Amino acid sequence: MADKQFKKKISEALGNDVLRGALGRFGDAYTISRAKAYEGYDFKSISDNIAEVKSYAASHLEEMIDQFEQSATARGAKVFRASTGEDAKQYILELAQRRDVKKIVKSKSMVSEEILLNQTLISAGISVQETDLGEWIVQLAGQHPSHMVLPAIHLTKEEVAHIFSGHLHKLNQPVIAELVKTAREELRKSFLEADMGISGANMAIAETGTLIMLTNEGNGRLTSTLPPVHVFLVGIEKLVPKFEDATHILQALPKSATGQQITSYVSMVTGPTPAYYSDGTVKDKEFHIILMDNGRRKMYNDEKFKKTFQCIRCASCLNVCPAFQLVGGHVYGHIYTGGIGTILTNFLNSEKDAQNPQNLCLQCGKCSEVCPGKLDIPQMILEIRNRMGEKEGLPFTQKFALDVVSNRRLFHSLLRVASVAQKPFTKGQPVIRHLPMFLSGLTEKKSLPAVAKVPFRDIFKTIKQDVKNPKGKIALYAGCLIDFVYPKIGEGVIVALNEKGYEVVFPEGQSCCGAPATYMGDRNNARKCAIMNIEALEAEKVDYVVSACPTCTHALKESFKELLQDDPGLAARAEELSSKSKDFSKLLSDLGGLKPGGDGVALKVTYHDSCHLKRSMGVYAEPRKILSDTSGVQLIEMKESDRCCGFAGSYSIKFPELSTPILERKLNNIEETGADVVVVDCPGCLMQISGGLDKRNPGIRVIHTAELLLEKRKKLKNKTK
Amino acid sequence: MRIDHLTELYERFKAKLEGVSGECYRVGTASEAGELICNVMLEKGIRNVALLKAPILDKGNITYQIQSAGITVYTDHFREVTPTADAGITQVNYAIAESGTLVQADADANVNQRLCSTLVPIHIALVSTSALITTLKETMAILHQLPQIPGFVGFITGPSRTSDIERVLTIGVHGPKQLVVVFVDEQVEEVI
Repeated sequence: MADKQFKKKISEALGNDVLRGALGRFGDAYTISRAKAYEGYDFKSISDNIAEVKSYAASHLEEMIDQFEQSATARGAKVFRASTGEDAKQYILELAQRRDVKKIVKSKSMVSEEILLNQTLISAGISVQETDLGEWIVQLAGQHPSHMVLPAIHLTKEEVAHIFSGHLHKLNQPVIAELVKTAREELRKSFLEADMGISGANMAIAETGTLIMLTNEGNGRLTSTLPPVHVFLVGIEKLVPKFEDATHILQALPKSATGQQITSYVSMVTGPTPAYYSDGTVKDKEFHIILMDNGRRKMYNDEKFKKTFQCIRCASCLNVCPAFQLVGGHVYGHIYTGGIGTILTNFLNSEKDAQNPQNLCLQCGKCSEVCPGKLDIPQMILEIRNRMGEKEGLPFTQKFALDVVSNRRLFHSLLRVASVAQKPFTKGQPVIRHLPMFLSGLTEKKSLPAVAKVPFRDIFKTIKQDVKNPKGKIALYAGCLIDFVYPKIGEGVIVALNEKGYEVVFPEGQSCCGAPATYMGDRNNARKCAIMNIEALEAEKVDYVVSACPTCTHALKESFKELLQDDPGLAARAEELSSKSKDFSKLLSDLGGLKPGGDGVALKVTYHDSCHLKRSMGVYAEPRKILSDTSGVQLIEMKESDRCCGFAGSYSIKFPELSTPILERKLNNIEETGADVVVVDCPGCLMQISGGLDKRNPGIRVIHTAELLLEKRKKLKNKTK
Repeated sequence: MRIDHLTELYERFKAKLEGVSGECYRVGTASEAGELICNVMLEKGIRNVALLKAPILDKGNITYQIQSAGITVYTDHFREVTPTADAGITQVNYAIAESGTLVQADADANVNQRLCSTLVPIHIALVSTSALITTLKETMAILHQLPQIPGFVGFITGPSRTSDIERVLTIGVHGPKQLVVVFVDEQVEEVI
């Protein structure tokens, strides 16, 4: 759970309008320029290629390192293997002292930030100059980079001018072109005077001993051209087997990082090259390469995190992350920020350092969609969360809540009690607008739905299913929100499936799918929920299991299998359940869809994609087809329809301060469409979005696809009768 | 056919280079390249230039042409002259049409090649039209087939740039602020 200090950092970041403005503008522009850069390229095949060559290198790591050392050495480089950051720092310091180095220029190296190399060198009396503009600004400001590719994205030109004026003893105006000119002049001196250069690399080619770096400013070229001593500091994950394998990464890195076709400069260095010495002679420079582990092997040896080797450090996962866009990098607390940064911090710094930032992940999956290395970042963060939960246990309140949820009878009777107990807050409304004191954050910018008076499991018994000669039987899995808050959705599902000729059953023993436990890092309770539902649903006895909540569907299809893989009997049943489970709109469309129809009354509708439905199940065309087949419905697409609404289960409770602005962006996009109704397929999104609209624009309704069908087709049915 | 193909590649290169704020020209002979370069330099007010000896420059007698235009030409002591020279002229090995990229891949990793193309505010690059390669992928294959990967392979795509302050694109940080590329059709024998 996020601690107070961490919460404070979040609120400071949120209060920083400059930061939010810069991150927001960049986030918007990035999506567009990335898409443009990939025009005419097949992103999938490029990322397949990257995953292939990088996973090969990961699984042949020792061989790669040996080969790299051999080929680089053959070309005259000195290769040093550093198992820790200390080893690397010591090597560089000794080398600098041996060569009587006074001034060092550095081109961008995140690894050197990771091990705090500058501190070591500076305390030994050596001048160290960052030369990447962003890194230099951050260095002068005495800060850490807040983004892997854009280190100073959190600073404004005014702040940069102020930093420059303070350090360079001359007044700098906040004019970007002038500031860049100042940097050129100041750093040019450093380049010309430096007696040592230190660089990071984007790739290290095992076959040829070549180091490749991508820069835009030209600092990489100068660092590898001017100083007579050059050190490359490289993490072992940068290894790529063959020279031509670099093509794939060259194709993806600039496009994914900054939306550029290619960076202004790509420099490939193989062995020492000639350089000018201080006496004016030209001869081969002294050339060192440090291959550093510092916790990396441990990460790649861990089956669940092996794929982090496929990361090419483009930072696109940060750029599309709704949470990162709000808080920026410094909140993450360490050198590596964002989703991938949380994972790297966990291994390269410490598990403790990752404890707070891992909470920031919404599990929306947007990062995985754009990752050129095919990393499932949310899944890895969840694994970290689970391991932490197992090791340290969850805080009492959370643990208690999850223990309750995994005990069906207790949970359900509490929900029934709640429908009565909530009355003072609902004032007879279907929503709760105000909560007392410490819970008020939850209802600040949105309302919460009231628990239904009669749960769906009771309503179900009263629904008459008029299906003659049913084609088959479908078990309805309602999930908590449909069962206890939005029973109408369940009715809509039944009516639609009845129309397709199927009888729907409601297995009584079903309960929470365990997603809250899964996403809070409580595998134990998640497992209990899995077993309870597998036994209740008895998938063996039905043709399909339908759920109208994609988070639940994801649990039925994926999580149960993972949670029970160690128990062959239950795993087989989980597999059976998985194969029969479908989300409502997907099942309806697989069954051939409904006959086009509807009441024909004009209704402007916009559609919000739920994270689980779109990204984990690939379902987004189906619900749109259902909508457009309903007469009267005019579908207007909203901007960023698949961007998370900010609900993300317990996230909106843990971080209302982040969930709220994410929701507001969604509401803006909804309002822009001019739609009367927002249709969703996830009751969680429904709760979040309708909560926000209720406070801000009660004229717009939010309903589930199944409810829309119920409303628009019921009237028709009545008419035709 | 070959000429048509090269023209198509040239057009693609030009569009890509101009997209990243570079200037692109094409001439028939090395001598014409000299004339063009003189005009470009006079127009830009360049008074002195660091020029690295290369086959096209020799063939077109370009050093002489530039001097005749009243511009000072430095042909040595590059470590001293390039930090303050108005411009640098070099010949590069290849050009990639796909991205508008120049490729420096001298077998001897000549440090002067880099000084004359990185420290100067304006880089004028000469390249043989026949050295156009369609894609990055092919380029990597060609480099790989060389007897060995040159000590320094430099890809240059447009002038130096940064967006590190407020994500505002600014041209010319550490490297050149302007990049002028001149394609020369005339086949000039490589002298190495």
